[in-house]
Amino acid sequence: MLKVLIPTLMLIPTTWATKPKWLWPTTLAHSLIIAVLSLSWLVNMSETGWSNLSPYLATDALSTPLLVLTCWLLPLMILASQRHTATEPVNRQRMYITLLTSLQVFLILAFGATEVIMFYVMFEATLIPNMIIITRWGNQTERLNAGVYFLFYTLAGSLPLLVALLLLQGSVGTLSILTLPYADPLQLVSCGDKLWWAGCLLAFLVKMPLYGVHLWLPKAHVEAPVAGSMILAAVLLKLGGYGMMRIVVVLDPLTKELSYPFIVFALWGVIMTGSICLRQTDLKSLIAYSSVSHMGLVVGGILTQTPWGFTGALILMIAHGLTSSALFCLANTNYERTHSRTMLLARGLQMALPLMTTWWFIASLANLALPPLPNLMGELMIITSLFNWSWWTLLLTGVGTLITASYSLYMFLMTQRGPIPAHVLALDPSHTREHLLMALHLLPLLLLVLKPELIWGWTS
Amino acid sequence: MLTRLSRFGPALPRLLSTPPARFVSQSKPSGAAGSTAVTELYPAAQQAGHSEVSPYVKNPDYHGFSSDPVVDEWNMRLGFFFGISVALVIGGTFIHYLPDHGMRQWARREAERVIQLREKEGLPLIGENYYDSNKIVLTTAGEE
Repeated sequence: MLKVLIPTLMLIPTTWATKPKWLWPTTLAHSLIIAVLSLSWLVNMSETGWSNLSPYLATDALSTPLLVLTCWLLPLMILASQRHTATEPVNRQRMYITLLTSLQVFLILAFGATEVIMFYVMFEATLIPNMIIITRWGNQTERLNAGVYFLFYTLAGSLPLLVALLLLQGSVGTLSILTLPYADPLQLVSCGDKLWWAGCLLAFLVKMPLYGVHLWLPKAHVEAPVAGSMILAAVLLKLGGYGMMRIVVVLDPLTKELSYPFIVFALWGVIMTGSICLRQTDLKSLIAYSSVSHMGLVVGGILTQTPWGFTGALILMIAHGLTSSALFCLANTNYERTHSRTMLLARGLQMALPLMTTWWFIASLANLALPPLPNLMGELMIITSLFNWSWWTLLLTGVGTLITASYSLYMFLMTQRGPIPAHVLALDPSHTREHLLMALHLLPLLLLVLKPELIWGWTS
Repeated sequence: MLTRLSRFGPALPRLLSTPPARFVSQSKPSGAAGSTAVTELYPAAQQAGHSEVSPYVKNPDYHGFSSDPVVDEWNMRLGFFFGISVALVIGGTFIHYLPDHGMRQWARREAERVIQLREKEGLPLIGENYYDSNKIVLTTAGEE
């Protein structure tokens, strides 16, 4: 773990010590080397067990894909932010990179944590840099409201989690993730125990987000600058999924009955947020609601508590992380040229920027879960697992898949096809930087088609 | 963001100091508080920091990284080298040659081997008990 953690920590002094001219190339190269080192975590020689063990950190088949995704995202965020921060004083640029790096450090510690309280502390710690990024570097006044929603929704969900975890520590004696699955099953009978069950999950459901407590997400994603949107969509939502997958081992057998309303909420959310996407005029808002929709499926998959459900959830989390981040970067290429997120203002871009259309096309296809991309594989496994839980879910997931395809196609057609509006006169051609950014998002997604067992988690 | 530059006063070229049509903030934003005042919406032709000149005019080989052509070129090279050549190609090769991820292929071979063994000996493919029942020590009814 340290071979990745120490270089990441040292990236902070690097940003402050580098000469202003070479700040961005240096941090980009540094973070890419860290990303390459993180690939060593993918070595998994044991059937189910833990690797890279230390007293506080360890990796297993569940956390490794998320860790690699986290490390891969920092250079992408640096690439994406280079242009819009170019006009700021260099110390503010350094502060921005420092915030992104500190997010990475907290996320590595969160996904690698062996003890649930450490995971909780890191889970909360990621809120601070994110709040600062959204409220300081966002572009509209709404960013302040967005920051408030983001912070307080998550905090309101996670304070019960803290109480629940302390209660768990009291009754089980340990909160080590390595041994919790083997602890004696808890006697969960009273009403208080059911509240405890809800307390354990609420924070993660707010984070995912579950439809119903999802209001913070469209605000935060839209108001954040591109790097903020990227890290939110790609990794921070998955913190919720990861937390759920870890905590659900101690929540038996209540989960069999109590998860019913949450699965229904999640699936209804898939349809509702999908329908909202079809009516969106704001591009980033469309992508944000698309994230809620996909994460609804993930929540459903995790709450069914079957091997296929978990595997599907993990695959979809990784695939969605890359796809959603790619879409936010594409939206940012539009935003940097027109300074507007309204889709109607920048249409027919295939005529003006045909190479970027290729990336739009691949990203949209990934979003609508085209085979053989892992997006589809994850969705299929979750849908199968939900069908096994109840036949009626097929109606909801089927309609959900249909709506997902519709709005992804809608997004592509609105931005790329049709005539260019008359007011679009002078757009910068697509930069090499933007092409590199999109390639680094979508090529790993395509490579995952060739070796999907990396993201299967615990299943054989 | 352009209004922030206006605190440099007359040093700013006249181009940038023409007030745009929609101006919400009436005071010069001070650096101390950061910019929480709503700045004007950019007209589409004026890109941030570029006034009206596209960066391609000064540097036809602009890659999108920096206005300094040397830094721009080197940034591009570093990005592509470490991003594509090292991370995707070398990293991808490393991942491709990883041995038996999660011991799945081993598990398959072991299962086939055990099945063949059991069928040859006529034993059931898998025993009823997970643990050997001879090794379990139970307390008798009289003991505590």
